[in-house]
Order: sequence, then C-alpha cells, then structure tokens
Amino acid sequence: MFKKPLALVLAAVAAVSVSGCTAEAALPDKSSITVYAGRSEALIQPMVDQFTLDTGIEVEVRYAGSAELAAQLLEEGQNSPADVFFAQDAGALGAVAKAALLTKLPDEILGLVSPQYSAADGSWVGVSGRVRVFVYNPDTVASVPSSVFDLAEPEWQGRIAIAPTNASFQAFVTAMRVLHGEDKTLEWLRAMKTNAVIYEKNSAILEAVESKIVDAGLINHYYWFAMGREIGFENLTSRLGQFEARDVGNLINAAGVGIVSDSNAARSFVEYLLSQTGQQYFVDQTSEYPLISGIEAGVDLTPLSQIPAPDIDLSDLDSLEETLNLIREAGLI
Amino acid sequence: MRKPPALLVVFGVSAALLAVLPIGYLVLRLFEGFDKALAELLRLRTLELLGNTILLVTAVSISALVLGFAQAWLTTRSNVKFAAVFAVLAALPLAIPSYVMALGYISIFPNFSGFFASWLVLTLATSPYVFLGVTAALVRIDTASEEVARTLGLGRFQVLRRITWPQVRPAATAAVLLVALYVLSEFGAIALLRYDTFTRAIYNAYRGSFDRTSAAALALVLLAITLIVIWFERRYRGGYLANTKALSKRVRVDLGSWSWAAMAGLTLVALVSVGVPIFSLLVWSLQGSASLDLAMLLDALWGSVRLALISGLVIGVFATAVALWAVRYRTKLGVLVETVSWATHALPAVVVGLALVFFGANITPWIYQTTWMLVIAYMILFLPNALAAISTPIAQVPKDLEDVSQSLGVPANRTLFKVVLPIAFPGIIAGVGLVALTVLKELPATLLLRPTETNTLATRLWGATEDLAYSQAAPYALLLVIIAGLPALALNSQARKALSEVRG
Repeated sequence: MFKKPLALVLAAVAAVSVSGCTAEAALPDKSSITVYAGRSEALIQPMVDQFTLDTGIEVEVRYAGSAELAAQLLEEGQNSPADVFFAQDAGALGAVAKAALLTKLPDEILGLVSPQYSAADGSWVGVSGRVRVFVYNPDTVASVPSSVFDLAEPEWQGRIAIAPTNASFQAFVTAMRVLHGEDKTLEWLRAMKTNAVIYEKNSAILEAVESKIVDAGLINHYYWFAMGREIGFENLTSRLGQFEARDVGNLINAAGVGIVSDSNAARSFVEYLLSQTGQQYFVDQTSEYPLISGIEAGVDLTPLSQIPAPDIDLSDLDSLEETLNLIREAGLI
Repeated sequence: MRKPPALLVVFGVSAALLAVLPIGYLVLRLFEGFDKALAELLRLRTLELLGNTILLVTAVSISALVLGFAQAWLTTRSNVKFAAVFAVLAALPLAIPSYVMALGYISIFPNFSGFFASWLVLTLATSPYVFLGVTAALVRIDTASEEVARTLGLGRFQVLRRITWPQVRPAATAAVLLVALYVLSEFGAIALLRYDTFTRAIYNAYRGSFDRTSAAALALVLLAITLIVIWFERRYRGGYLANTKALSKRVRVDLGSWSWAAMAGLTLVALVSVGVPIFSLLVWSLQGSASLDLAMLLDALWGSVRLALISGLVIGVFATAVALWAVRYRTKLGVLVETVSWATHALPAVVVGLALVFFGANITPWIYQTTWMLVIAYMILFLPNALAAISTPIAQVPKDLEDVSQSLGVPANRTLFKVVLPIAFPGIIAGVGLVALTVLKELPATLLLRPTETNTLATRLWGATEDLAYSQAAPYALLLVIIAGLPALALNSQARKALSEVRG
C-alpha cells in the first residue's frame, strides 16, 4: 500500500497547495528551500537537480559534515535558515531533535519506512540503510570471527582497526551497551584500547586494510563498494564478512532526514527521497539499502532481511552521552 | 606619550571587539554546564592531551626556527650557489596547506602517522614563516659590526650568536610565535596523521558528541596556553631596531668546503617540503584529469580568489591601524588591542566559526551566510598574521621623519598618510599577501560560514576527499598551491628586496 508512484505523491502535494482547503493549508508555501546536507555533493546534487526539474521547487544545498551541520543547527537555534536536515547518521539527527529543532513528520511520511529506522517521536525518518561489517584481508585472516567480542582476544593485538570518533562506530557501541550492558561493553572497549589501531574514519580503515597495514577493521558496508567502483572490484584485496547470528557487530544503521522549518516544499523533498525514484537512486549510486518496500537491494548485496542483525531500533540508540563516557573511560578518545 | 589619531582607535577597537567575540561565546557555553566542563578538564586524558600538545608545539617551534633561520642565513649571508632558487623553494611550502602536505605523504607512505609524522609535516609547513621573517631582518642588519667582531677574534658561531642573532631576534621570535599558535590550532594535518592534541579533542567534542560545553572548556584551556606563549614571546622578543642607516654593501661568508654540504641540505629540505607533496599531487591529478569538471574548477577558483582579495584588503587596513597604534604610539590600550587580537589566534577555526554562527544567525541575520561574515571570521583568525608582517616595516620608519613633518605643522593624521604609510607600504602589501594566502588555505571556518552554494578550491578539495576521490581532489589542491604560490613568491622577493637593491 506504500508503493505510491512519485507522480501521485507530487500531484497530491500540488493539489493540497492549490486547493488550500485542508488541514495542510496552514503550511506555508515556499518556492525554494534550503537543505543542510551531511552527505556528499557528488552523490546528492544530481538527485536534487532532478527534484527541481520535477517539482519546480528550487533547492539551495549547504554541504558539510553531518556533525558540523548539526553543531551549526544547534547554534542557529530557531533562527536557522535551514528547511531540511539530511544527515549521514541518526546521532546527528538525534542531537538536533533533542534541542527541539525538528518538527514532527506527518504520518504519511513516517508510514513509508519501518519504525525500526526512524525516531520514536517521529522527528526524523531513515532514508537509506547501511550495515556494520567486518572488513578483512583474506591472506592474513583465515576466517571471520563468530562475534565482535572475539576481537578482544590477544591474537588480535595490533591487527584490528576502529574509528572511535566516528558516528557509526559510536552507534554500534551504544547498541552493545543497550544489549549487553555497561560492564561488558567497557571490558570490550578496554581490550580495543590494547588491540586496536585507531583511525579517524571508515574510509581510512578500509585503505589501511587494503594497503595491508592492518589485517581487519570495523566499517560500514558501502565504503567497500565505493572503493570497488573507484578502483575496480577485481583490484580489491579486502573482503567483507558478517559476524554470526544477531551479533551486535552486524548493526543496521540509517542515514535520515528531518524537517527544520515545515512547509509543503520541505515535505515534498522528504517524500522525494522516500519515493521509488529516490530510493532506487541510493541503491544504484551508493550500494545502500532501500528502506521502503518494493525496491530490491543491489545485486551484490545480501538482502537486509538476511543480515544477522541485532534486534534493536535506531531510536533506542539515542543515549550517546553514556556511550561517549564509556569510550572516554576506556581511553579511546 | 602621544595621543593616537581617532581613526586608528576606531579601527583598532573594532578589531579587538571582534576578536573578543569567540571568547565571549566560549564563556557563555561554559556557564551552561560548568560542572560538566570541570569534570571534562579533570580527566586524566586532559593531562595527556596537554602533554602531547606542549611536546608538539615546543618541538615544531624549535625545529622551524632552526630550519627557517638556517635557510635564511644561507640564502642571504653565505656564498652558497643558487641562493635565489633555494630562497624560492624555502618560501614555497607556505602555499601548501598542511592537510594537503599530510595527504601527499600518506598517499605515498600509508603508514605515516603519529608524533614524528606530525612534527615533520608541521615543521615543513611552518618554517617559511621563520624563513621570511628572518630573511627580511638579515638583509637589513649592519654587517660592519660582524666584520669588526671577526677581526677581534670571534669565531663564526660566536659572531652568529652574539652579533647577528640579537639583531634578528624580534623578527625571529614573532615568526616563532606564529608557528607555535599555528601548531596549537592545527586540526586537518593532525587528524590525518593521527596525533592527539587539544585542538583535535575540541573538534571531537563537537563532532562526536555535539558537546559544546566540554569543547568550550578545552578551548578556554587552549586560550590560556596561548596567553602563556604570547607572554614568553613578549619577554624574549627584544626591541625593534629602527633602520636608521643606509644599507651598505654586504659581505657574504665564504662557506669553503661546506658549500656542498649546505647545498645538499637545502636540496633535501626542498625535496621533502615541496617535492614530495607536489609529486604526489601531480600523480593524482594526472589520474583525475579525465573526469575533471572545468566549469566547477573555475567557479571554485573565482570563489577562492575573490574571498582572498577582499579579506586581504580589509584585514590589511585593520592590521595597519592596529600596528600603527601599538608600535608607533605604544599607549597601554594600543598594546592591549594588539594582545587581544593575538590571543584568539590559536583558537581552532571551528570555535571561531561556531561563535560566529551563533552571533550571526541570532543577532545579525542580515549578514549571516554572506561574504562579510566570512571576512569577519578571517579577521579574527588571521589579523595576527598580518600584524606580524606589518609591524616590522612600520616600526622601521624612522621616528625623526615623523617629528620633522609634525614640527613643520603637518597634523598627525596627515603625517601618517604622507610619511609613515608610504615608507611602510611595501611591507603592508606583503601583509595583505600573507593574509590572502592564508585565507586561500582555510577550510573549517569557510565551511561553516560561507554563503550557501559558494565554493572555494579548499571546500571542493574537502568534498572530494570526503568521497575518497583523491584523484578528483588533486587538481583542486594543485591549483590551490599554484594560486597561493603567487603571494608566497611575492613575499619572498619582498623579503629579499634590499638584497638586490644593494647588489645592483
């Protein structure tokens, strides 16, 4: 029932704005919107151009890191020029939502995506999915460990790379805390302080595995596909692996979007991201997982339903503060 | 004590007020969660960061001083061959952003990281400040006293230490101050090379946890460190030497058999500071040239050049006013204004950027996300760079000339415009060039404050590296280095100008 063709959605939006006699009529009409985008311009801009072509709504996009944009939104407060915040991860959206800077999304939009991938209070909605993976060099790692906890063993000393300042790593640690408790998580983090080689971001970890500086690392799946597209999959040394059944190391995460200043135009932009066209674009361009039903994941990808992911909702991962305290206590940041 | 003209006071006080903005912002954030900030500071980790930061700042300051001084002395005072070429090569790293230099090294040596890597890259990136400052001072000092000292039996190193060094000390310590504050506030290269300092922790507090209170607490500690560094510099600077006598023909020290060693040393430094990064950029650029969008490149180039020129000119005017006030009138307020503008120089750009986001969006929305907001940010960040370049030439204008002019009945304001500024003008232009060059390389504040959809070479470079597309980033980096190379070359020839005047 959610497979609305895009044209229909847009027609509905247009009808609402023209007739101006429904409850939605209270929304301001804008002919242009400003989007703060924490995702890369090369990826997003073609989609934005298509949106403008289809709807006539002009979009100004401000590109920067998700965290920087979140910090910017927090400083701007109520006076932000932004209409929409499109972020790379749930943490950045959560921080902005916590400051009550995101408006609640309408149920038609929230209904498109499984609640597992959206804010519990409806302040933001997931747009594309990504999976935490174990990337390894098959020449030096004989088999994928059965659990992320196995990486605490002495045999991994100096061989495993992590990025403790990275948002997706922190989301994964939060999941570990929620599922396994503070003590076990701290123990694991302390082992990582001994075993792990620290990097700034996922891409640097992948490069380190590729250039054989480390044997393995914890990253998001699409970095591997991005590198494969840039240098050719046949030239990749590393392989991706998942831990066994429902291990927290297989966490599914999402990039998402929230509305800062509500308008019909802002809503159509969000609807566009969740339309068939928008979702197919992510599948084709970034090898991410679509989050609406009816779209197949890319051919090389294990379907999301078959990932042995831990049983947890993204909105349960909003206790970042406690996670950071643990990561700090372990001395990793 | 003479009273400064009102015009100087207006410019100077407004520059100082702008410089105080970020401090006000930090204090505001600190008091939102004082207990939390205190807890952040009392962690063992803070001590570790403090140790790391002090170690790196001290090491880089010393090595940049030694390297920059050696390059300056060899290329101006010795008979080493190809001195002019080596001088250009010594100034050029100024045009290479330190994060680009770090990327260049990492792309060739993937394992390049940690203290040694950060020390090496930052030494190479900052030694041109010392090189230029010391060169300008060396070509102006009187060599006759060195000759006298030699005939009285002092060895070469004794002459260097007891006669030459005291004369270049003010310029050298001012340059080392720039170096130290540069290292304190550096983020890009240090993050790539994975060394932990205060500035990196501040960035992580913002980015990892959106924790503005902890970030503010750390930034205020950084500010305290900066004040200590400035205090040290003030103590050891010594007085400016007014350039009262005509330049005499200088004697070049004959290196004899050391000449080859000197050339080998200078070549090696040029290879690691300019050769390696440029080589790596060229290799990547060749790979990326096929997919290069020329219109996008030109758009970014225009964005960069425009910002650099506007900011250079505006900041040049303010810096000239502050320097005139602080150096030629030396009133207490003037010196305070100068100190305040130095104090915020070591704040990470992200702190200054977010402070201006806060004030801009909520108090002055009409200039928020316009070019002027960026110019203000650059003023807060880079006024000291301009001050360092402009103060010396302004101090060197003989006071007698000013007195003569005033005794002839010319008012103070007109004397400044008719006498002091024309003489110091080449030095002021050098300051404008230095600011323009620094603005070209700036990234974090530019990303936060630029008008939406305005791009510069630096922001395009950032976008491409975020995508992992080094081959697409490289042409932007290369063009950035070429454009920033122009003011770097001009600064070098400005510093060496006296040399050619005398020789001719």
